[in-house]
Amino acid sequence: MSLNKNNYLIIFLLLTCSSLLSQEELKKDSILTENLDEVVVTATRTIRQLSSLPLPVTLIPKKQIERSGVTRLDEILEEQTGIVLTPDATIGGGEGVQIQGIASDYILVLIDGVPVVGRSSGNLDLSRFAIGNIKQIEVVKGPSSALFGSEALGGVINIITEKPNTSKISGQVTHRAATFNNQNTTISINQRNKELGYSIFVDRLSTNGFDLANGDEGQTINPFFNYTFNGRVFYDFSDKLRAFASGRYFLQDFEVPSGTSEERDGNVQLRLDHKLSEKSQFEYEFYYTNYATNEQSVDPINNEVLLDNDFNQKLFRPEIRFNHSFGTGNTLTLGGGYNFETLDRSLFAEQVSFDSQYVFSQYDFKPFEKLNVIIGARFDNHSVYNSQLSPKISARYAITPNFSIKGSLGSGFKAPDFRQLYLDFTNAQGGNYSVFGKEVELQGLERLIANDEIITDANGNPILPVPLEALGDPLNAESSIGYNLGFAYNKGKFRGDVNFYRNDFTDLIDTRILATKRNGANVFGYINRESVYTQGLEVDLKYEALENLSFSAGYQLLYAFDKNVEDELEENGGFVRDPETLQTVEISRDDYFGLENRSRHTLNFKTFLEIPQWDANANLRVVYRSRFGLADRNGNGYLDDFDDSFVDGFALVNLSFGKTFFKYYQVQLGANNLLDFKGENPFSTALNQIQVNPGIQFFGRLNIQF
Amino acid sequence: MKTTLKLFSLFFMLTAFVACSDDDNDEPQFIAVQSSTASNIPAPQVGGFGQGEISGPFTKFSFATGAVTESDTEWDIAFRGLRIIVNGGTETGTNDEPIRNGNAGAAIVDGTFASVTSADGLTFAQDETGAFAIPAGSDNGWYNYNQPLNIVSPLPGKILVFRTHDGKFAKVEILSYYRDAPTEITEEIANNDFRFYTFNYVYNPNEGETDLTAQ
Repeated sequence: MSLNKNNYLIIFLLLTCSSLLSQEELKKDSILTENLDEVVVTATRTIRQLSSLPLPVTLIPKKQIERSGVTRLDEILEEQTGIVLTPDATIGGGEGVQIQGIASDYILVLIDGVPVVGRSSGNLDLSRFAIGNIKQIEVVKGPSSALFGSEALGGVINIITEKPNTSKISGQVTHRAATFNNQNTTISINQRNKELGYSIFVDRLSTNGFDLANGDEGQTINPFFNYTFNGRVFYDFSDKLRAFASGRYFLQDFEVPSGTSEERDGNVQLRLDHKLSEKSQFEYEFYYTNYATNEQSVDPINNEVLLDNDFNQKLFRPEIRFNHSFGTGNTLTLGGGYNFETLDRSLFAEQVSFDSQYVFSQYDFKPFEKLNVIIGARFDNHSVYNSQLSPKISARYAITPNFSIKGSLGSGFKAPDFRQLYLDFTNAQGGNYSVFGKEVELQGLERLIANDEIITDANGNPILPVPLEALGDPLNAESSIGYNLGFAYNKGKFRGDVNFYRNDFTDLIDTRILATKRNGANVFGYINRESVYTQGLEVDLKYEALENLSFSAGYQLLYAFDKNVEDELEENGGFVRDPETLQTVEISRDDYFGLENRSRHTLNFKTFLEIPQWDANANLRVVYRSRFGLADRNGNGYLDDFDDSFVDGFALVNLSFGKTFFKYYQVQLGANNLLDFKGENPFSTALNQIQVNPGIQFFGRLNIQF
Repeated sequence: MKTTLKLFSLFFMLTAFVACSDDDNDEPQFIAVQSSTASNIPAPQVGGFGQGEISGPFTKFSFATGAVTESDTEWDIAFRGLRIIVNGGTETGTNDEPIRNGNAGAAIVDGTFASVTSADGLTFAQDETGAFAIPAGSDNGWYNYNQPLNIVSPLPGKILVFRTHDGKFAKVEILSYYRDAPTEITEEIANNDFRFYTFNYVYNPNEGETDLTAQ
């Protein structure tokens, strides 16, 4: 570990030196390298130049993805400022992406502007998304429910696929081989011929998996293979009427020791853009998606089915959007849509469905030259939970042409999910506890009482911490208010962004005990209870030292706490058990570490080099995250300094080299986690050491263009 | 000044004398209140965890002797698996429970072991049909059960104050549910060495005394 830190330091110093050296050279070089291509669509649902936006937005261009040699969405996001990929569920804490300290449950993921579904306990597995055919990834930080509705509390990740642009048929075949027999083949074909364009993309990934815990049975990640198929058609009926159709299908099979584990994810998107005039445009969109998993585990001896867990979620969503420009830089956006959503799941009594309707509007204007203001709001009406109004305002003021100040204030919400509303689950295998969703908790508990499973008092009445009359009230949506205040400085080859953020969450859904069964197991229900906040600072610096050499560095400071725990500790103090003496000791607010899986400091450093005369390129990317805790281990329900569940801070160093031969053949070699960091999972035992990371991964990639 | 001093010494000698003579009388003596640790009190059970109904005899404990007892009357609390019962109240309805013939009761107080200094003013619950003086279930009574890790840990800051079967008082802090109270509970220990209680306790053997500070 200390070796790892030292190496990291040396490399960092070396690079800093080289960056200073190149700074010297720079003075002679005065080519302005402002990138005018940097436009995004996610922040406003209109095309906007990145640097002019009043909100914090991260743009990951295709080139960065290609140069990095990574193939999955999670791998590239991990290297961006303020975005953390929390460890795999196998070491606790739940996997997923975290933005401004906000967990995966509260982050909306879109492909070409339409949402993907299929979350497991709230987390969306981002390694599901192949990124071989994309133009760019846009990440809007902070609540964005004013445009996107539910789930967009922490931010929105939008994967924008690439449009075909050559009249000749073009394409590429790529194969990437990496450690753990990780094989990834990608084929893409594109053509654009006047009014018709199409694009075909196929991706296959397979791996032998890996084991983080040597000595136990089975592997941490089982061998699997998956395919992604994506076909898209573009057709322009005229300059004014353009059509776009896209179909995507993903299938993944895990090879589990006994049984099956399958995942299917498909979506179809149809869009019609109708330009009424130079100033107004309608967009009609139909979207259908279906996500299904099937998990079956059978007894290896007698083939008896031990567990059969099916999950089948469908969403159909028509949406209409309208844009109208008034003068230059003033745009009105209006939209509305309807969500039809169903879920069929083994753990539910019956298939459940949601209906919701929504309208949104946004006005993006410039009251005067230096000031840009965007105001917007969205109203969501839902069949099960309370309707939501989500407003947002943001503004950017250009103090000088190079220096601007920007701020935004917005709200976000997340609808209670199907699980929180309809789950009807009793764990027959371990502990026999039961969990009921809000909509079925009353019937569920009454059923248990009728079966005489609940403990009773002397008079034979069930003992209920929550009276029956208080059950069954609808669950509220979880909601948040986000504040961002930032400064941007942009001059020549240097760009710097500083952003202060704060997100206040209320009505977070937690579980509570509804009753206790005669066997001592508890019956759980859901309730709106928790309030948490995340706050801190993000710094992003980018320096284009030379035309072919760029450096970027990012930092995030994060404080994430549960307000109820803070209040309780401040008022009454708290207790923990001393891990050595096992006795209770009193603790204060200062001993409260904060929310699980949050690092106070995260850092990244990236440098990209192009050597045109050799047709070669190289890059080095470093990601660091400081110490974080995985779970409460001493029974007081929150993470404190006495909990022995901390993972020490660590750095991942990724490196890759690429060279093009004969114009069309590109070879890339690289290593991820170059320092071979493995770490030690605090949940390890003496007998069974569990790692945090599988260690160094080498890869080679061949890309042929035609 | 001198006279005052003399007077004082006289007074002092006088009181000392009186005190001495008190001792010579056969007045009841105060027994020192001591802090002790009970280690590895076995609490086996039959069944549970899908292996049929929980049953089997409870392990009875007496604060007066500081040991496990077989006595049908001279016990205060008893253990079986995660369940703790008191020798007071009525039958709860669980299998193989001993007959309650005392007046024991339990109260759960928030604090550190040292901060709980008296049993004065506490309300003592007793076992009754379907309910226990120390409530059953994770986070309800004395323990938390971490399902994924399969670890039972005593809740921090929950001090159990007992009235014994014969009306005296004791406070208890449970330290461990595992054999030899290991500081790290490995998977091996969690699966094999459970149902052994280790706890600190302070017992005040003096009739009617609620003080629970050890001398």
